[in-house]
Amino acid sequence: MPEKTALHSVHQALGATLVDFGGWDMPLWYPTGAVKEHLAVIQHAGLFDIGHMAGIMVEGPDAFDVLQFAFTKDISGLKLERAAYGAFLDSDGGVMDDALVYALPEGRFFVVLNVGHGGAIMASLRARASACGAEIFVRDLAKTYAKLDLQGPAAFRVMRGLLAEPDSVFDKMPYFSFKGDIELNKSGVRLKDGTPILLSRTGYTGEQGFELFVPYASVTDIWNKILAEGEKDGVIPCGLAARDSVRAGAVLPLSQQDIGPWPFTNNPWPFTLPRTESGGWTKDFAGREALERAEKNGTAPYTYAYCGFDPRKVTSPDHHTHPEVRLGETRIGDVLTCVADVSIGRVDGNILSVASPDRPEGFAPRGLVCGFVRVDRPLAPGTRLTLADARRRIEVETVADIRPARTARKALGSL
Amino acid sequence: MAESKIPGNVLYTKDHEWISKTAPWKIGVSDFAQNALGDLTYVELPNVGDSFEKGQEFGTLESTKSVSPLYMPASGTVKAVNEALADAPELVNQSPYGEGWIIEIEEAGSLDGLLDEAAYKAHLETL
Repeated sequence: MPEKTALHSVHQALGATLVDFGGWDMPLWYPTGAVKEHLAVIQHAGLFDIGHMAGIMVEGPDAFDVLQFAFTKDISGLKLERAAYGAFLDSDGGVMDDALVYALPEGRFFVVLNVGHGGAIMASLRARASACGAEIFVRDLAKTYAKLDLQGPAAFRVMRGLLAEPDSVFDKMPYFSFKGDIELNKSGVRLKDGTPILLSRTGYTGEQGFELFVPYASVTDIWNKILAEGEKDGVIPCGLAARDSVRAGAVLPLSQQDIGPWPFTNNPWPFTLPRTESGGWTKDFAGREALERAEKNGTAPYTYAYCGFDPRKVTSPDHHTHPEVRLGETRIGDVLTCVADVSIGRVDGNILSVASPDRPEGFAPRGLVCGFVRVDRPLAPGTRLTLADARRRIEVETVADIRPARTARKALGSL
Repeated sequence: MAESKIPGNVLYTKDHEWISKTAPWKIGVSDFAQNALGDLTYVELPNVGDSFEKGQEFGTLESTKSVSPLYMPASGTVKAVNEALADAPELVNQSPYGEGWIIEIEEAGSLDGLLDEAAYKAHLETL
């Protein structure tokens, strides 16, 4: 029996098409459909139920030391009210999961993980603590809160209308910061009706928006309030299909698909590793030796973002098979992600988005195929590749970036 | 999910294609199929003049995440393709039996074994 989030009956009432995702019955899309939902995130805002994701608390005298070793990102400079994105690697340098770490007062760290990964990461942290005689307390926060994701240029206006003290919440709130506490009874951030929340300026879309951590019992009420407040701005519920195509265009990896049990290097996310300018490390961390060996021996594959010239994709019949990546006639690797970002199109060979300020009048793109490939050699951006499945071949090119004009880092209130 | 539309003026395959019962011999996909596929982003059409056997793949329907093959309900040679689908693949979602028709063939081969509306409805109930 798949698990259900607190909003399951809401999705059913809205007529969502539900699908099993990681053992959870989640909305794939609503009657609006995946194309309109993707475009809504780029042009208005989309509301996602992300209650299936895992969250754990790491605290105790040695919590910082254990996390600093277990997590790839160097968190020695992580201030309160800031979050860091990185990964937990195994001893082969492969990714167990990617995660966000939130620095809370009193030496507590809130770690947000992907669906189903809470147990494995907790076990790994406890094992590390045991091995080095460190004292930490780790607990699963499942069902102590519910999680929503409001992403898109209208998100700020909507939250401003719902918060009790928006000016103080939004004061000094850069990208990757948060206000409030996940132990919601300690949180100073409240909605107008007094409900405490943690509001995080993060998300999985590359667009401006917020992740909201709210009391489990309040999530339906808050979901409805957000949609009511956002109706005039075109805010709509969005499902996992739109979430996948939006994140791919934002060059964000999917755990266990674009990052996984292979050395976590030579990829579009080098900022997740604690490197110094001279190529050394700022700290020791789990998986470091394996990464060094793989880089030295040239055994680490290379992961690149790619974008094509029309929306046509390649697919595979199951999770074990990958469409092929060919350089000329030589197979050089596998396709990891292949979706259509329907908000982008090519103009004179350049990728433009429906949000690009320099887009031509009447620009209504059909979308472009995009995603990630994992290959056996380094490739410069602009390298033409052929992706092939049993049915077709498509031409794409490696790119430094996919969807332009993303809004995540823009100043709040500027959109 | 709203009740799937199953008009009686066409015949169906188990793969959810439909074909007209008489000329003009148009072919498309059922309401059930368009709903299951979701929003279409691209339709790959054959060329006018191409010939196919019954059951042979003649094109594809794509959503943002998936690619679905189209199989001939009957053998035939392509007389026309729905050019409107190049700019508006969503016509298949909006009007799967009308403006979202996909190809027209010169003459249909045998229609034996295709499902009428009652048989197709029964088939959907087994899925």
